[in-house]
Amino acid sequence: MMIGIDSLAPTAHVVGAGPLLSEETVMLTIDGSAGEGGGQILRTSLALSLATRTPVRITGIRKGRQRPGLMRQHLTAVRACAKIGSATVSGDEIGSREIVFTPGEVTPGDYTFSIGTAGSTTLVLQAVLPALLCTTDRSTITLVGGTDNPMAPPFDFLARAYLPLLGRMGPGVTAEIESRGFYPAGGGRFRVVVEPCAALGRLDLLERGAVLQQSVVATVANLPGAIARRELDAANEVLGWDPACLRIEMLRGAPGPGNVVSIVIESEHVTEVVTGFGEKGRAAEIVGRDAAREALAYLESGVPVGEHLADQLLLPMALAGGGSFRTTAPSSHTTTHLRLLEQILGVRSAVEPLPGGAWSITLSR
Amino acid sequence: MTKRTVVLGMLGPTLDGGKGAARWERWRPSVAVCQQEDLLVHRFELLHPPRFAGLAETIAADVKRVSPETEVRPSPLTISDAWDFEAVYAALHDFARAYPFAPEREDYLVHITTGTHVAQICMFLLTESRHLPARLLQTSPSRREAGGSHGTFAIIDLDLSRYDRLASRFLIEQREGLSSLKGGIDTRNAAYNGLIERIEKVSTASRAPILLTGPTGAGKSQLAARIYALKKSRRQIEGDLASINCATLRGDGAMSALFGHVKGAFTGAMTDRAGLLRKAHGGVLFLDEVGELGLDEQAMLLRAIEEKTFLPVGSDREVKSDFQLLCGTNRDLAAAVAAGRFREDLLARIDLWTFRLPGLAERREDIAPNLEIELESAAQSTGARVAFTAEAKDRFLRFAISPEAIWSGNFRDFSAAVTRMATLASSGRITAGNVDEEIARLRASWRRPELAAVNADVDPVVEVLGEVRAAELDRFDCAQLAEVIRVARRARSLSEAGRLLFAASRAKKSSVNDADRLRKYLARFELEWSDLARAQPASG
Repeated sequence: MMIGIDSLAPTAHVVGAGPLLSEETVMLTIDGSAGEGGGQILRTSLALSLATRTPVRITGIRKGRQRPGLMRQHLTAVRACAKIGSATVSGDEIGSREIVFTPGEVTPGDYTFSIGTAGSTTLVLQAVLPALLCTTDRSTITLVGGTDNPMAPPFDFLARAYLPLLGRMGPGVTAEIESRGFYPAGGGRFRVVVEPCAALGRLDLLERGAVLQQSVVATVANLPGAIARRELDAANEVLGWDPACLRIEMLRGAPGPGNVVSIVIESEHVTEVVTGFGEKGRAAEIVGRDAAREALAYLESGVPVGEHLADQLLLPMALAGGGSFRTTAPSSHTTTHLRLLEQILGVRSAVEPLPGGAWSITLSR
Repeated sequence: MTKRTVVLGMLGPTLDGGKGAARWERWRPSVAVCQQEDLLVHRFELLHPPRFAGLAETIAADVKRVSPETEVRPSPLTISDAWDFEAVYAALHDFARAYPFAPEREDYLVHITTGTHVAQICMFLLTESRHLPARLLQTSPSRREAGGSHGTFAIIDLDLSRYDRLASRFLIEQREGLSSLKGGIDTRNAAYNGLIERIEKVSTASRAPILLTGPTGAGKSQLAARIYALKKSRRQIEGDLASINCATLRGDGAMSALFGHVKGAFTGAMTDRAGLLRKAHGGVLFLDEVGELGLDEQAMLLRAIEEKTFLPVGSDREVKSDFQLLCGTNRDLAAAVAAGRFREDLLARIDLWTFRLPGLAERREDIAPNLEIELESAAQSTGARVAFTAEAKDRFLRFAISPEAIWSGNFRDFSAAVTRMATLASSGRITAGNVDEEIARLRASWRRPELAAVNADVDPVVEVLGEVRAAELDRFDCAQLAEVIRVARRARSLSEAGRLLFAASRAKKSSVNDADRLRKYLARFELEWSDLARAQPASG
């Protein structure tokens, strides 16, 4: 069965007449409350607005939430985008339900964004990065704050899974971590270097290929090493890997306590990262076991792209004008995202179930 | 441009404490304030006892980490005893007074979750009284005991503007008399400064009576109070200051108020009454509007000045009183002497030293400094701090010193204007809108100068009926009667007053006999035309 995204009801509209991306008089309006209605729509809209230099009005921001409107983390993303795109913004204040973002020139260069732990460094990166992929010069983005936070893509995922795939579309994108920052103390710092390309190329990721290497790393900062040990033991009870794949990392000098379990599965065509976060009141065994179960499910599904990576890939693929991948069942997040991409970029998508529980997602103009 | 958010808070040595990485597992209110997703703090003024400077620095560094947008400024606050209300209040009050609040640019939140309960209560009181022009900020840990949780917060706005409305009418009355002329003010008018210097010289060198003249509201009674304070501070007098506005004295009550009476001296004299002159013994007696004093009282007063003795009403025993006499008047007493309403010999006794106080319009350069003083005294009497926005202040001063502002009621007008603006200002800010309203109000009142002057003076109803009977009237009747008296006093005859009062009916020919109608109206108050005329002020 084919699900044509264009058969879904439109969730946004264009005010005025004329083609979608014409410069004159038309203000693209995004209904920020569509689908999930969260910060994701805001960040995607900003990223696309910057990448396509299209002014955008985002309405109904976080409508229906307990605390609706822009929160600090969103505001941080808006400000970061405004900075790299010399944008003028109205409505950029806490609690605002509507913003108008008008990008100017996107300037490659060195940027540092300090983000409190209430926000997320990786989410800010997600918003500013696409626009810097196809510029005339190299950019360095330094992000300060939390690097491993349950509410955002963790650093390892970014560096090992997502950025290498972006690199395959043309630009050179590498990330280097200086220190990790955990919620709530933060204090992490990493740097992303972008060597831009003229235009993004198509990416097709239909096969995973053979697994080349796999590892489980339990990291603890200012916490007993026994916690990491217990997590590894519990994880390997599920995975049954060679003990040489298991590693404990004890961080020195971190400002606060922190604990994260990273499972990295490096295959021929893709690397996936599954992350488990330790938190107070949650047994180390559960943290290790749950992460391992998620990794096992990925391995057993046979698809190259897991759920989180799928969400990340849609935007660059849409900017490239096409691409495809095989993944697990699309979440409502994915559906919202696809609608938005179609609305702003005019990219059509096909979401097709495959035998054996996998799905294929194809984007094309 | 949205305002910047500034939090003022006390460091909580217990709640904000904690060492090493484990401190991040605790709920620390001063850090948690800066971790809220929907509260962006631009600056945090962290008050702390000097010995907790180290902890304050830790908090500052931790806040920087979780909230790079926040600038934390630890400031040591010395409190002699953190459990002593007076000490804590004084320290915080000093802080509030010295702090450069800029409410047009910044939005202030007072964090009351930390600090001793004494400090919390003092912060609350200072916020309620708007010495801290802020809303209250309360933080609390989240219910679930999750590690590192930053909990929740609530903002409480103690907007007391609804109480201000009620207070306003009392304030205007109360504060009319509070305007100080030179009480600590840097007056810039050279002539006025010279005058004050001469008065001070005379009053410290001599015990002779002093006569203060000048328009209503120029500050005669304030100056009298200052002369008294000066003499007292130089130990030239020991007794009290006894003041009275002679225009309020009528009939038997006048004699008795001034000279006292003995029990049974007249109906209603149930007990002995000392009277003002005896109260002023060894001190200062200030008789304002001395020209309004009846001839009998004038005679008594003259004797009291010359012989330092007098007879209380109904008494045959003389009483001694030695006082310094100050008199005030806005009348030309020489003309009153010529008209036979004032004793020439009394005038000769009291006008040895005559000083004329200029009206406000004659000393416009003092308007700006007095504006600050007025606001300050508004803050003291209401307990709530009020300030002008820059634009509003500029607008008001430009009007106040312009020739258009005649200030016919002088400081009384000025003080009332500031009081009204301060009262109507919402959340402690007098805006350009408040100023425009007030300017319109002043213009309207000055367009009816005769009304304004009479208004600023003694209530005509009290003048005619006496205080006791006036107090028995409904406000409704008072207002009506006051207007009738005012009009009548401008008229030459009962008929003319009737024509003026019933002009509208007359135009419609529905009233045939205006004079009769007025006579009947007055009869309801047991008044006759001559009763109104008797109290009519001297002209010229």
